[in-house]
Amino acid sequence: MDSARVDSMEAVAARRSDFPALAREVRPGVPLIYLDSTATSQKPLAVIEAMDRYYRQSNANVHRGIHTLAEEATALYEGGREKVRALIKAQSVREVIFTRNATESINLVAYTWGRANIKPRDLIVYTEMEHHSNLVPWQMLAAEKGAEVRAVPVTEDGELDRAALMALLARRPKLVCVTHMSNVLGTINPITEIAAEAHTVGALVLVDAAQSVPHLPVDVQTLGADFLAFSGHKMCGPTGIGVLWGRQSVLEGMPPFLGGGDMIRRVHLYDFKPNDLPYKFEAGTPPIAEAVGLGAAVDYLNSIGMDAIQAHEQTITAYALERLEEVPGVRVYGPAAERRGGVAAFSVAGVHPHDVAQILDRFGVAVRAGHHCAMPLHDRYNLPATTRASFYLYSTLADVDRLIDGLYQVKKVFG
Amino acid sequence: MNDKQAFIDFILDHYQNPRNRGALAEPDIVMKGGNPGCGDIVTMYLRLDGDERIAGVSFEGEGCTISQAAASIMTGKVLGKPLAEVSQLGAETVVDEMGRELVANRLRCATLALNTLKAAGKKYRAGQAARSAAEAQIEDF
Repeated sequence: MDSARVDSMEAVAARRSDFPALAREVRPGVPLIYLDSTATSQKPLAVIEAMDRYYRQSNANVHRGIHTLAEEATALYEGGREKVRALIKAQSVREVIFTRNATESINLVAYTWGRANIKPRDLIVYTEMEHHSNLVPWQMLAAEKGAEVRAVPVTEDGELDRAALMALLARRPKLVCVTHMSNVLGTINPITEIAAEAHTVGALVLVDAAQSVPHLPVDVQTLGADFLAFSGHKMCGPTGIGVLWGRQSVLEGMPPFLGGGDMIRRVHLYDFKPNDLPYKFEAGTPPIAEAVGLGAAVDYLNSIGMDAIQAHEQTITAYALERLEEVPGVRVYGPAAERRGGVAAFSVAGVHPHDVAQILDRFGVAVRAGHHCAMPLHDRYNLPATTRASFYLYSTLADVDRLIDGLYQVKKVFG
Repeated sequence: MNDKQAFIDFILDHYQNPRNRGALAEPDIVMKGGNPGCGDIVTMYLRLDGDERIAGVSFEGEGCTISQAAASIMTGKVLGKPLAEVSQLGAETVVDEMGRELVANRLRCATLALNTLKAAGKKYRAGQAARSAAEAQIEDF
């Protein structure tokens, strides 16, 4: 084991004490081994305390009051937006829209841009490895508009079939929807290349970044996409807040999403003028404490560095793939460690994923079993479900060892 | 723990040596059920006697231990019972049979067979109603 890896593991041990939940036992004497960060990450104390402080000291509604608390709350809320802008290198805070989660961000685009721009027989392209949140909104839109949706297939080793994508692009789709990182296979897709190819035929590109923004450096200028959707709760932030980044020129041309307070400039009895960006898409009282928490989460991620987070997860994932392969009957899906993020979905021959997860839970190992909101991807591999272990900045090699120990117990029970 | 181990052994036994597994000859009702969330599927086969008691029952299926063991256990539980009584069974029946600790967070898997049996009862009643409605119509002419 090289010294860089040892150093990093020592740093991780210290980092783990930032997360109160990681210190708990699931039952007396059984410590928690949390391997489900792809579903949601644990929260560092800095995030919990920032939200607590907001509610104790500065709680007020935003963008309205003239009083001190309202000004503090507005500054904190908008401060969260600026931190998110800087993280993804957006040109302006006007391009950073707060939503409820990545799902709502994608639906926002479908309901506003989609309804205004998709016409009968138009083509929308997505991929076989998408989360349901990047499939269903487009299926709904296509059904409403009489448009067509086509999926880019996934190859046996879990990559996008680029030739098939090129063939679909030749049909000049209006929109290409693609995940930056698969929540099952861990595949990191070459968004910069895909966006450039899509733009040559005039398509816009929407990227589901729910798994990438928390785990690796994401720069919207380099990616070259038109929309980017992600959630706060997968990146050390709270639930209830997500982000839609959109290219300003595109966002300006879109009709508003939900109607109500804050999204208007002027309301008359029978019509209204929408507000400027980003407020045009933020109707009603927004998730203020959540934006404060998300801002604190971004600070926390930056204190480690997105490059360091990605490097750490790669170390853990490479080790996990290596160890999983040594367990007889275990098959891991997706590409090699260097081409994937910190996710390992696998099957254990002869044992249903639910049973695997339940036995692992007896040993404190928290994994997810099911289709992970990617049923078409599981269909592609002829699997009803998989067991998924996922890693984050606080995962350790010892966590992986506990997973493997647990899998040998699974094999013993079903031996 | 002993109690829990006994439940585990009981469930694993039913999973590895399922009772009444396979299609039933000349069934009165065939009902498919499934949990789309996890891919568990069962098909329940029922044959009734003249008093609408379950004279024969079997299942086919695929899925996790809990769902398949539950199907095996339920076939033993409902054999000989009136169909109407099966329709009244609640999730508690399954939980008691299989051990609360083991199935409390797996209720959807554990109750799949029971719910499919209950759906089978409904299907049979609906079929009966349709048949008698058809007969009534014929009489009208």
